[in-house]
Amino acid sequence: MLPPFELLQPPSLDEALKMLAAGESAPLAGGTNLLPDLRAHGKAGGRFISLAALDQLRGIEHSEHRVSMGGSTTLSDILRDPLMPTAAPALVSMAEVFAGTMVRNAATVAGNICYGSPSADVVPPLLSLDAEVTLVSTKGERTLGLDDFLLDYKKTARRPDELLTAVSWTPPATGTANLFYKLGRRRGDAITVVGVAVTIVAEGNTCTKARIALGSVAPTVFRAQGAENALIGESLTAATIDAAAQSAAQECRPIDDIRASAEYRRHAVHMLVRRLLTQAWQTASGVNHDD
Amino acid sequence: MSKIASPGASAANVNLRQIGKPLVRTDSPPKVYGTAVYAGDLTMPDMLYAAVLHSERASALLRRVDTARAKELAGVHCVLTAKDLPASQGVMTDMPGQTGGMTKNTKQPILAKDRVRFCGEPIALVAAESVSIAEQALSLIEIDYEDIAGVYDPVDALAPGAPIVFGDDNIVASYKVRKGDIDKGFAEADLIVENTFTTQYQEQAFLEPEAALAWVDEHEVLNIRSSTQVVEHYRAVADAIGLPHNRVRLRAEFVGGGFGGKEVMTIEVWLALLALASRRPVRLVQPRERSFLSHGPRHPFTMTHRTGVTSDGKITALQIKLTSDAGAYAKLSPYILLYATVGATGPYRVDNLQIDSVSAATNNLPTCAFRGFGTMQANLACEGQMEEIAKALGMDSMEVRRRNFIHTGDANVTGQIIRSAVWSDQCATQALAALGERPADTQTTRIGHGVACYQQSYGRIRWMKDSSEAWVGVEMDGTVIVRSAVTDIGAGQSSALAQITGEILGVPMDQVVVYFGDGAVTPLAGTSTASRALYMSGNATKMAASQVRENLLGCAARHFGVEVEELDMGDSQVFAIDDPQRSMTLNECVKLCAAEGIHRHNLAIFKAPTSEGIDPETGQGEVFPDFTYGAHAAQVAVDIETGEVRVLQSIGAHDVGQAINMRAVEGQVEGSALMGQGFALSEELILKQGQLQTGSFSEYLVPTSEDVPEIKAIILESRSGLGPFGAKGIGEPVYAPVAASIANAVADAIGVHIFELPITPEKVVKVLREQEAAS
Amino acid sequence: MMTDKENEMATEKLVSVQVNGETCKATVPACRTLLEMLRELGHAEVKCGCEKGDCGACAVLLDGKVVDSCLTLAWHADGHSVTTAQGLGGPNNPHPLQTAFIEHGSAQCGYCTPGMIMAAKALLDDIPDPSLEDIKRGLSGNLCRCTGYTRIFSAIHAAAQTLRQQGAAP
Repeated sequence: MLPPFELLQPPSLDEALKMLAAGESAPLAGGTNLLPDLRAHGKAGGRFISLAALDQLRGIEHSEHRVSMGGSTTLSDILRDPLMPTAAPALVSMAEVFAGTMVRNAATVAGNICYGSPSADVVPPLLSLDAEVTLVSTKGERTLGLDDFLLDYKKTARRPDELLTAVSWTPPATGTANLFYKLGRRRGDAITVVGVAVTIVAEGNTCTKARIALGSVAPTVFRAQGAENALIGESLTAATIDAAAQSAAQECRPIDDIRASAEYRRHAVHMLVRRLLTQAWQTASGVNHDD
Repeated sequence: MSKIASPGASAANVNLRQIGKPLVRTDSPPKVYGTAVYAGDLTMPDMLYAAVLHSERASALLRRVDTARAKELAGVHCVLTAKDLPASQGVMTDMPGQTGGMTKNTKQPILAKDRVRFCGEPIALVAAESVSIAEQALSLIEIDYEDIAGVYDPVDALAPGAPIVFGDDNIVASYKVRKGDIDKGFAEADLIVENTFTTQYQEQAFLEPEAALAWVDEHEVLNIRSSTQVVEHYRAVADAIGLPHNRVRLRAEFVGGGFGGKEVMTIEVWLALLALASRRPVRLVQPRERSFLSHGPRHPFTMTHRTGVTSDGKITALQIKLTSDAGAYAKLSPYILLYATVGATGPYRVDNLQIDSVSAATNNLPTCAFRGFGTMQANLACEGQMEEIAKALGMDSMEVRRRNFIHTGDANVTGQIIRSAVWSDQCATQALAALGERPADTQTTRIGHGVACYQQSYGRIRWMKDSSEAWVGVEMDGTVIVRSAVTDIGAGQSSALAQITGEILGVPMDQVVVYFGDGAVTPLAGTSTASRALYMSGNATKMAASQVRENLLGCAARHFGVEVEELDMGDSQVFAIDDPQRSMTLNECVKLCAAEGIHRHNLAIFKAPTSEGIDPETGQGEVFPDFTYGAHAAQVAVDIETGEVRVLQSIGAHDVGQAINMRAVEGQVEGSALMGQGFALSEELILKQGQLQTGSFSEYLVPTSEDVPEIKAIILESRSGLGPFGAKGIGEPVYAPVAASIANAVADAIGVHIFELPITPEKVVKVLREQEAAS
Repeated sequence: MMTDKENEMATEKLVSVQVNGETCKATVPACRTLLEMLRELGHAEVKCGCEKGDCGACAVLLDGKVVDSCLTLAWHADGHSVTTAQGLGGPNNPHPLQTAFIEHGSAQCGYCTPGMIMAAKALLDDIPDPSLEDIKRGLSGNLCRCTGYTRIFSAIHAAAQTLRQQGAAP
């Protein structure tokens, strides 16, 4: 049973933005977080702006230098897109284990990002690809980096009158490794205990780019920049990788909760970052580490 | 998918045409077509909707419960609290049909009056024109709680000075088993191994939440149609609300999963009260979060085994301590503790034995029945201990088991002689063999194989003097009807009766109509619990069908001028075995009987063996009718970096006595494999100071399709059971060894046993790090 | 007297949905879910298990896409088409999935079954020749507590074969 609320159904993006600008309302996309929250907290009287009719917010565009997906792109849309496995490998890996089929058909990337949860699975892969988000309001449009968009636990830079209309990034160059792993308390549909996405670019035997995005181990999804910096310019030996992974674990600020303790989360970050970096380095550099 | 092996089985003396075959269950089509009706699907004109206010505090006095604003809300028809209830107040949660002595404190208030003892205790009931108005009314009820000291752990609850939950002390039940000479046994041991095992709360997580519809009809009979495992609850409902038994009619619809969670009354009394107060039909489907609070989860247990063994693995002495958390009200805790006590030694013969078990009251959720009913928790400890003993002795654990298996003719824990087949060894051997070759470890994963055996009872405790009735009849046109109040909770309870009747009367089972679950109109069959439905109702049905067969064949024999033994029934015909052309249809036979005034129907009662209880000092006595034996084997892959455990193969091998419907039997093994996996690895209700932290399916994690391993069922048939055609009860037995087999497999993979369930990745990492630090 | 806000929240709309080929109408507020609306219209085969998208018992096809009807607002289904388990077929004209579920014994308590079949239908529409991994992923939003899924997987595999042989559009 949902509490009573007001639902406005704008037929166009302009209408939707005008309604948002009027204040005291929130956008409703797939509803997969918002509706359970409403039901649990039972507060009547909300006003929601439905994005259901806004087809322009869906669609994934690929060009040589840029990939852009509309804010209302669903997780299933990501899985259906034949170019996504090369445009964002980690994003596809994540989508395969995101919730269950029906939720994937409804949940949107904008909804997942804007909920601001540190366990939002969509975020680590996008962060590992240096994604940017586009925010639109009646006042105009702005684009900012995803890492600047995430401010704090369930707090983003989205102003109440803005919609997140697109997420974009530069598709990884050939030879880039982009990996994701979700650690949960069961293999199917679980709130993430630790989420890891890494990107490694190598030129010859040197790592020229490293991204390590971590979910569920801090108030927001974040990049372990200390660990990243330790990799850039280096040839990644097992020791270098392990040191970086330990650094990433130190950079976390995990909590104890019903799913796991902070101590375990740090350990898992160490293990998973090490593992993913090792795999990524093998792919990116063609070098095999056999210890 | 399954292999039937019956080495040494007693010769089958019946040529079974339908029994044992994997036939389509009679309830399958409506369930698949979506036409099956569940309690929450029922509607009536002028129906009201109920909502229940559950306590938000675990231990508090109720200083004020003010329903005035709720009552005033338009569309609200009644709001009931404890002060509106009849003087009897209490709901008996003792097992129905019991004639033995009442255990302590089994009465639980219908609605909390002055005090709440657990977070979730019902305080108020609302009936309104719509669900949304009912929910609004709940929010208008004002409650002033005054927190009082509570106790949230059985050890704390049993310590001197602990806050008392109810009664004089927090001991809800206790048992003692004393057999042989424990000191002598330990003196004879070459080695003593001691370990403590703990298991967690498990939520039944049936897909259908509690649901029922109640109304008072034109004869002033209170009708309830409910998702329940027990039709006989109508008596307890009647007593609780002050009606005579013959004015309460309880009908059980198809139950969307019970597993014991719908074995005691859940919402029936609430709806009865609202229906009486409002004089309208009232329906309730519990929202999932409230469902978690509306029935009792599995008892957490702490179990210590101290085992003396010789150097070749023979058990010389066994000392066991069991403690369970009963929660805030007794419910079935005393019985669950008894089952755990009897199951504590597993399928082994132990002559020098001491068991002390206790169930303690706390301000946690009142725990209650769940598949296995104490035995499966006890089994985890017993089977883990087998592995630890083997490890300490440097022996293979199956060898240790073989040294100690109980055999037919031996006396068990309580001195009861086991009379049916004990095929534990064959089952375990086949299950393990079916795991096949062990795949290689990788750099980060370790493969483990584990096995566990068990001894699980079927049939209820003997001193409950259990019985079950069934009616079988043939219509004038030769079609067949079965009537039994058995409840169908998804394991094919009603279909089995059609299959048995079809076998006896030679009629295809899909042409037998079974009327089930109606307390007023179908003969009472007893509970669908304790793995007894097939045993009890199956036997009653077989008896009734057999009497009808005898009557029909008698008539036909007289007509043909032959002996009854020369006739048989099949394809809805009665025919001469040596000359099948000499036949008549069932239709014709029935008309002959009618002409002779011979009954074409029979009401039979099957009575289980009884006893008078156990000795309070020694625990000796005959407790159960019989036991089922088998084993489960698991292959796991453990990620030694993250601690994640993946089950690769899960194989159950069980002697079911005689499979009635092979598909249903295999289905039980398969379902239990996954449910046991959840218990072993991912399921845990977490309570903090009595407050539930895991109150939905996002936090309480049952295995999903992505978690399913390769599951196999190996079915053995000794035909030695007490059920129809030699069947044994299987619903709980097949579940008993699963978690233990997985725990043992993990231990095999990582070289160290984890004694606490669930085996989370975190626990695996912890023991691996401790192991590393120690070396 | 209601405030403007209360008036807005109480606003009901006439929603028209094609359910199993039949036009169904109901006047409902914004907060009414498709699950609630379908059940109020008499479609009891759409089951309620959790009301928050955890269990899949309420799954239906919305314009051919499988969704949790508990997370779908009735207003969002207006003008769209819904298929429930009863729309797939019946005893006189069973869908191959239904035949397979019955033959394989894929239902025990049966409560998850309608939602499970709809997810299976969507899977086979998408992937006519699914691997076991595809099947597991396709059912990842549907909980089953009774069967261990084994016979559900085998039934879907069998139905997929039948449908491919029939060459029929599923």
